[in-house]
Amino acid sequence: MNELEDIKLKALLQGMKLDSPEPNFSVRVMNKIFEESTALERIKSEKVLGKGFWIIMILFIALLAMVFFMQNTGTQPDGQLQSILPKMNSGVLESYDSFFSKLGSLPLAVGAIMAAFSVLIFLDRFISSNSKVFAY
Amino acid sequence: MEQKDDIYYIEKVKAGQTNYFSYIVEQYQDIVFSIALKVLKNRTDAEEMAQESFIKAYKSLHTFKGSAKFSTWLYRITYNNCISEVRKRKIHFASTDDIEIRDETTELNLDGIPEENRAQAVKKALAKLPEEEYTLVLLYYFEEQSIEEISRVTRLSESNTKVKLFRARKKLYSILSEMMKDELYTIL
Repeated sequence: MNELEDIKLKALLQGMKLDSPEPNFSVRVMNKIFEESTALERIKSEKVLGKGFWIIMILFIALLAMVFFMQNTGTQPDGQLQSILPKMNSGVLESYDSFFSKLGSLPLAVGAIMAAFSVLIFLDRFISSNSKVFAY
Repeated sequence: MEQKDDIYYIEKVKAGQTNYFSYIVEQYQDIVFSIALKVLKNRTDAEEMAQESFIKAYKSLHTFKGSAKFSTWLYRITYNNCISEVRKRKIHFASTDDIEIRDETTELNLDGIPEENRAQAVKKALAKLPEEEYTLVLLYYFEEQSIEEISRVTRLSESNTKVKLFRARKKLYSILSEMMKDELYTIL
């Protein structure tokens, strides 16, 4: 194919009118884009995780931290506990000791499983709430 | 100039002025629609596909860095969309070997052929090309894209693009020569 043939082809093709979509095509495309933009803005402005979830989460993390602390240090020595809570009566102190001695004896693996479980729930909830954002 | 205009509108859209995207749609709707129509062979489906391509381009606009022409980037989205749809629907692309390419073609004689007939003949000739060759020829002649840009759109290697484009041009020239010869006989 020589240069002249190429020029002829180019001239012919550039003089050609391409097929066009319906006259309101660009309006339809823009309407669709505006719809999707609005939907995206709404998703972005929605709070993914509510206040209740965060309170439960903080309490749960605090509990886990306590379990971990008890696992490593055992129960509070009586003297130390007395200094922290000097005015408590002996019944309350006994219950307190009993509860934490049981909690402290939980194996570390149970704590780890609980922590992993809560993280998975958190991730699942976060991803499913953001699925539209991720898809976008 | 065209490139500068595109960048101007794109920056506006990126800055949150979504309505500026309509300039992009207006400018490229014909070629995007033509590629989709050639592949899907149905106006309704082609319009849907073209619309989908523009929306996809809008959504991914933040990833467009401007290192290549915007049109190349948009055609790549369109072409990929079309290929995916074809695979989904299990439509077979026309074989490139259906049309015979002669070594010695008749010279393309346009003398005495009215402009309108020429345009019709070009459309008919293009319609005979398989989808891939049609896209290559359209981008090369109509959009004046370089081999490098076309290879980015079609994801073919540059050497493969060159070979396929040469073949498509030769084939188109051959078809047109025959058509114009017949046309000339009709007029005379």
